[in-house]
Amino acid sequence: MNPTAVSLSSLLLPGSGQFLLKKRSTGILIFITAAILAFLVYWSFAHQNIGKVSVGGFSISWLWLPFVLFWVWNILDARARAERKRANLIPAIILVGVILYVIAWNVTGVKISRLIERFHDAQTVYVKLLNPDVVSISVNGQDQVCDWKCLYTYASDKLAGEPTEGTIRLSNNFLTIMGQIKERPVAAWKVRLGLAEAGTRQNTFVAGTILETIAMGLMATIFSTILAVPVSFLAAHNIMERVRGGTTIYYITRTILNVVRAIDILIWGLIIIVWVGLGTFAGVLALVIHSIASLGKLFSEEIEHIDPGPVEAVEATGATLLQTIRFAVIPQVIPSFLSYALLRWDINMRSATIIGFVAGGGIGFFVVETTRQGGYQQYATALWVVVIVIVLVDYISARWREAILRDQPKENVNKRPVLKLLLNIFYVILGVTIFVYFWNLTEISIRSLFNPGKNFGQVVLDFVKIDLSPKVFQTVLQQMLVTIFQAMLATTLGAILALPFSFLAAKNLTGRSRFSAWIYHATRWMFNILRSIEALLYVVIFVFWVGIGPFAGMLALAVTSFALIGKLFSEAIENIETGPMEAVTATGANKLQMIVYAVLPQIVPPFVSYLIYQWDINIRMATIIGFAGGGGIGLTLTTFFGSLQYHKAGTVVAIIVIVVALMDFASARLRHTLV
Amino acid sequence: MLKVENLSKEYPNGTQALKNVSFEVKDGEFLAVIGLSGSGKSTLLRCINRLIDPTSGKIYWNDRDVTAASTAEIRKIRRQIGMIFQQFNLVKRSSVFTNVLSGRLGYVNPFLSSLHIFSAQDQKRAMSSLEQVGLADKAYVRADSLSGGQQQRVGIARALMQEPKLILADEPVASLDPVLAHSILKYLEQLNKSQGITVLCSLHYLDLVHRYATKAIALKDGELVFEGLPKQIDDAQFKSIYGQEAERVSII
Repeated sequence: MNPTAVSLSSLLLPGSGQFLLKKRSTGILIFITAAILAFLVYWSFAHQNIGKVSVGGFSISWLWLPFVLFWVWNILDARARAERKRANLIPAIILVGVILYVIAWNVTGVKISRLIERFHDAQTVYVKLLNPDVVSISVNGQDQVCDWKCLYTYASDKLAGEPTEGTIRLSNNFLTIMGQIKERPVAAWKVRLGLAEAGTRQNTFVAGTILETIAMGLMATIFSTILAVPVSFLAAHNIMERVRGGTTIYYITRTILNVVRAIDILIWGLIIIVWVGLGTFAGVLALVIHSIASLGKLFSEEIEHIDPGPVEAVEATGATLLQTIRFAVIPQVIPSFLSYALLRWDINMRSATIIGFVAGGGIGFFVVETTRQGGYQQYATALWVVVIVIVLVDYISARWREAILRDQPKENVNKRPVLKLLLNIFYVILGVTIFVYFWNLTEISIRSLFNPGKNFGQVVLDFVKIDLSPKVFQTVLQQMLVTIFQAMLATTLGAILALPFSFLAAKNLTGRSRFSAWIYHATRWMFNILRSIEALLYVVIFVFWVGIGPFAGMLALAVTSFALIGKLFSEAIENIETGPMEAVTATGANKLQMIVYAVLPQIVPPFVSYLIYQWDINIRMATIIGFAGGGGIGLTLTTFFGSLQYHKAGTVVAIIVIVVALMDFASARLRHTLV
Repeated sequence: MLKVENLSKEYPNGTQALKNVSFEVKDGEFLAVIGLSGSGKSTLLRCINRLIDPTSGKIYWNDRDVTAASTAEIRKIRRQIGMIFQQFNLVKRSSVFTNVLSGRLGYVNPFLSSLHIFSAQDQKRAMSSLEQVGLADKAYVRADSLSGGQQQRVGIARALMQEPKLILADEPVASLDPVLAHSILKYLEQLNKSQGITVLCSLHYLDLVHRYATKAIALKDGELVFEGLPKQIDDAQFKSIYGQEAERVSII
């Protein structure tokens, strides 16, 4: 095609020249990018005067300049493509980056100065975080938190045989988290079994908030795994195509799963408490709903990827559909189902630590209460306990998954069948006991599930009414954009910080000498510890440091991004093949050349893919970061819920679903084309 | 007796896998189906038990119209027709015994079998099927811990559970070492000769066809290009089936 004609076409409509040259997706991508950029520049100037420059009495956003340059680049690209060449992509990326980051910087309210000005105040919080309220000392009948220094003095006094300044014991705060023996009215089941008289009081173990959290995570995983199995068959194409009308059911199920999944667990929590009221049960329900959708999708994909051979063979024997599923499908999917359930257990435990922010119960609720009163030392104890629990869960879940997925046929030798039987009986009894105890602890109540609050129907009607009046829509859209930009900045910041550390946490690069092995383990542990705390728990710290608002939320997200990206990057580095490195070195290349030609090509694609993945995660997280003062759409949502304006809350949830689904789709496409 | 009349199959992507194929198989015959990969052998076998629905044409199995059978009827027909596969198609994570028992699913109560409850008679039958293929001692190991040849024998035992009148064998030895090919085909020959089970078997090697089949048909690009006795396939026939470039190779 004529280069001039193509250039002219792209001059009039960005991307159209490329489109005419049969580079359809490139053309559409350029057009969409230009349209979004134009909207953003216009919108940010109209609402927040971003990039304002005044010439005489006339003011305009200087961001139109990079936009025009992008337009010019698009024309040059069309011209180059007509001559079967391609324009350099880097200027385009820089121009788009300038526009996006300038806007992001402003709407997120980044104020580096605050980080420095308030550093001194922040320091006092960090000192408190490092001195959690675990032990208290009573001096002259007054209880105080006994920090490290106090413990040291106490211990050295004790060792020296000198009189101590007071007596120490585990603090009430610590016992509230871990659990304690208290006098309580006797439990109903004891009365029924004749172990106690009704109406008396007994010393009973009262579970701490962390046990409640563990119970919520475990119960939610058990219920959602069981419920997700039938759902997953409805969402598996290779099963449903064998049933009359099955394809319709398949599409409906898939859509429902995607919508439910797009709404964060905490937002489900807000909806659920209208239904069953505040408490641990609401938390469990919120976790269950989201987990069913998430597991349902993963399970169904697993069903779709089974070996079709055995299915064919069992069908050929004259088996019915149910028999085929039972004998050819289920045995194939059991290991992957179990491994996904374990992965979900890990995720649910993390979510259970924050569900209390909205639903009440668990350690999340404890954190809300203590930080509201400025009890940072009490909050610190919770953080450290969460770290220990989550690191453990993460480890157990990963190890167990590894064992399941290895899936080796068992040796047929059974040396001590009796011992094995006894062990199995013991496990069953233990499992049932824990289940029953946790059932009570999480206050699961089937009755309240089917007996929603009086005005629940009214609320649902109001909720689905979705207020689309321009004023509400404008506010919600604005906050949604803030949320997206917050996620983008957090991903960038996290990645920049994570990059150097990820090289330190890669075993194939470190780990040769004892010193470097030490660095490797220290970096790994830093990633694991930071990763085990949810962003919502970090916000509290940053709110104190830089004040309530999107900046605090962004920083909290950056910390979790840093930890996750660091882990993923280091694993990507560990997975590079040594073959190409050897080959390039063998040609006589030096170390730098070897890195440029053999290492970078191998790690850039996974890095880009992880970055997009992290942005996707961060957008989801950013929708709830406002629940703890992190700004963005979460704040809008809690405001609407709090003031009982459910029709407006409906608008927020609808927009979140649309944006998250779009981002999900876009990131999958992007990763597919880039990697 | 199996009668195939003007059978055609066109896949949704436009591939014409079978074109007007007609032939007959008398009870007790060992029919070899030969042809290049992609000539339509697998499609033909799968049309006979309706794992694939043909586009047009008729298939009669003992004067019953297979192509017109309802879902419930087709299950009754399928349970009389055993099938063994190139990739064995065992459920790898299940035990050998369960795999063999699954051959009985067309006969048993759907509900009870879903709970893995089988009658003592069926369990005994599964054991004796395994004995027939010499694998009784492997009953309780996982299927994927067996070798390829052993897995294919389990496949035969599974087909035997159906008390089949006809066995469809889709390239049963193509994934096995040549030395094992004879062992598997001997089992099929034995079933054919001693129990009178009709066998329809697609094969790659002409040597095996000469050795085991009583009759042969050949497919080329979905068309029937030969029907007759195995020994009638001479060099000229061979070239017309496999193309001018082909050369005969023999195994053992």
